[in-house]
Amino acid sequence: MAEQAKRWAMVIDQERCIGCWTCAVGCKEINNEPAGFWWNRILTSAPGIVTGESADETLAAPASDNIDVPHGTFPHVEMDYLPVACQHCDDAPCVRVCPVGATYRREDGTVLVDYERCIGCRYCIAACPYGVRVFNWGDRKYDPSFTVGYGRDYRSDGRLVFTPDRPTGVVEKCTFCVERIDVGQEPFCVTVCPTGARVFGDLADSQSSVAQLVDDGATQLLPDLGTDPRVYYLPVNREGSA
Amino acid sequence: MATADTTASAPAREGRIIGRSWLGALGLLVLLGLAAWIYQLTRGLIVTGMRDEVSWGLYICTFAFFVGLSAGGLIMASASELFGVKSLRPLARIGVLTAGACVLVAAMTIIPDLGKPARVWELFVYPNWSSPMIWDVLIIIVYFLFAAADLTVMTRRGMTASRRARWLRIMAYIGLPGAVLLHSITAWIFGLQISRPWWNTALLAPAFVTSAILSGTALVTLVALAARRWGRLRLPEETLSTLIKVIATTIAIDLFLIAADYITILWGNVPRERAALDLVLPGGSWQWVFWLEWIVGGLIPFVLLTVPRWRARSGVIALASALVLIGVYAFRVELIEGGLLKPLLALPPGVSLGATAGSGSFQFLGSYHPTWVEYAIVVGLLAFLALLITIGYRWLRSLGPHAGEAGA
Repeated sequence: MAEQAKRWAMVIDQERCIGCWTCAVGCKEINNEPAGFWWNRILTSAPGIVTGESADETLAAPASDNIDVPHGTFPHVEMDYLPVACQHCDDAPCVRVCPVGATYRREDGTVLVDYERCIGCRYCIAACPYGVRVFNWGDRKYDPSFTVGYGRDYRSDGRLVFTPDRPTGVVEKCTFCVERIDVGQEPFCVTVCPTGARVFGDLADSQSSVAQLVDDGATQLLPDLGTDPRVYYLPVNREGSA
Repeated sequence: MATADTTASAPAREGRIIGRSWLGALGLLVLLGLAAWIYQLTRGLIVTGMRDEVSWGLYICTFAFFVGLSAGGLIMASASELFGVKSLRPLARIGVLTAGACVLVAAMTIIPDLGKPARVWELFVYPNWSSPMIWDVLIIIVYFLFAAADLTVMTRRGMTASRRARWLRIMAYIGLPGAVLLHSITAWIFGLQISRPWWNTALLAPAFVTSAILSGTALVTLVALAARRWGRLRLPEETLSTLIKVIATTIAIDLFLIAADYITILWGNVPRERAALDLVLPGGSWQWVFWLEWIVGGLIPFVLLTVPRWRARSGVIALASALVLIGVYAFRVELIEGGLLKPLLALPPGVSLGATAGSGSFQFLGSYHPTWVEYAIVVGLLAFLALLITIGYRWLRSLGPHAGEAGA
């Protein structure tokens, strides 16, 4: 049986997200991210941002510089959580701008960085609308001081797409846990989420839960940019919304 | 130099001392810059003020500035050929020399910005043609080779005058569109990015071409004035007056283009567009770029060059040219940093820093303060540029008494 090509996607249910940062910390752990590095962040947001109804709220004055502060004036306040890591765009600006093709998109839609190819020009950081890329500016500090997580190199088509200690001078980011999904596991953030807010699966399989959730009206982040992310969001259902 | 006076008169001796101290000082600054770069190589880019949110700083601003500087000379030499602007003829060689030196140093400026400079060869082995940066690398190389070829045609001995004239004309037909392409592609590195509304304007390529002509002409003016003062260049008043006209007119066009962009954003009042502009307008935390661009590098040199009594003095012309360079540099900073300081998703806790600062590992509102390493490297590159132009000019002068002038 010829296996159909996978189209990996993730759906994040914002109604279920409680802003606990377990996925972000789990991400740091499995990928051995040094101090100050976050491939995955949980932004404190206002409803509507994801759906694009109010895309400009992204730059409207936020409620506060701190997390967990609602938008609006009492009693009309609202808040939701927006977990943001690499969106694995189908038309990824980072892939387009990388001068040497170090950032590339695999057949299955996973956007990866070849740590042996990256020249460290940081054009991809400038080009990413979601601010998810992290650069290895210099010596990394680890806390704890030993390697945690997957802990060894992983190659895809011969390219070094994961290594526990990324070299100084290259850009890194979320890989959809490529070393896990290639052996049938879920990305670690999906596994550790205590509320089951994250669903991962194959969009090419119409019976998969991600495919059905996307059909049921999951939306993308900053959809007006046309980057067509493979990460989808189920917005919070507010009173009065359809 | 070979043409040095044998009589060793007092002024000549003084001139030699000035010349040697100039070269010595430049050499020292180059070495300091090199030392700073070696230090950066050992520690990584962590020694700069750049972090994940503002991930391009002084190096990229300076790169864009040097690319712009290379415009003036080549456009001048080409214009004097194509449109028969005879008054610019005396500057053709200096112009092309300046252009070649600037574009060479611009290319060098990219190197310290790279996280993995040893992998720079990959640009030629694994080019990704959808990246504007690859096209920029290509046009920079072509432009440099073109300037070198142009200078060769201008200075080659044993070429008949008519043959040389024909070649220079052909070169001019390539040089002018080549220069426009160079500045447009450099603008498109930024201007094509949908992630940065502040960069993402069709005005950017025209604004880069204009500011390149502006800063390039100002640089050639400075070099020509210095060569007249210390290098015995014959610089006719007519030539100087053409340069002044070009600079004053281009200041006006440049500021007009920037104003058109401001007005579009202000009237539209779309928050994601307004964010960066509010930073640089008076009252914003980066307003100093506005004052440098509009007043110090805009209004003041424009007035200096349009009031007849003032523009007659070469000191005033030199001052105005220097101010113009500051203004154009401010435009580069305004554009590049403004775009990076305001990410699209400006929600708390912000963007990962890629390091731990005192306040934590996120930055909500971008900030950037260059470190001494960045200043030292940029000053070193600037000194290297001055060194190249000085040595290049001496070489041109050594070719003959009027070698600083056009070959036709």
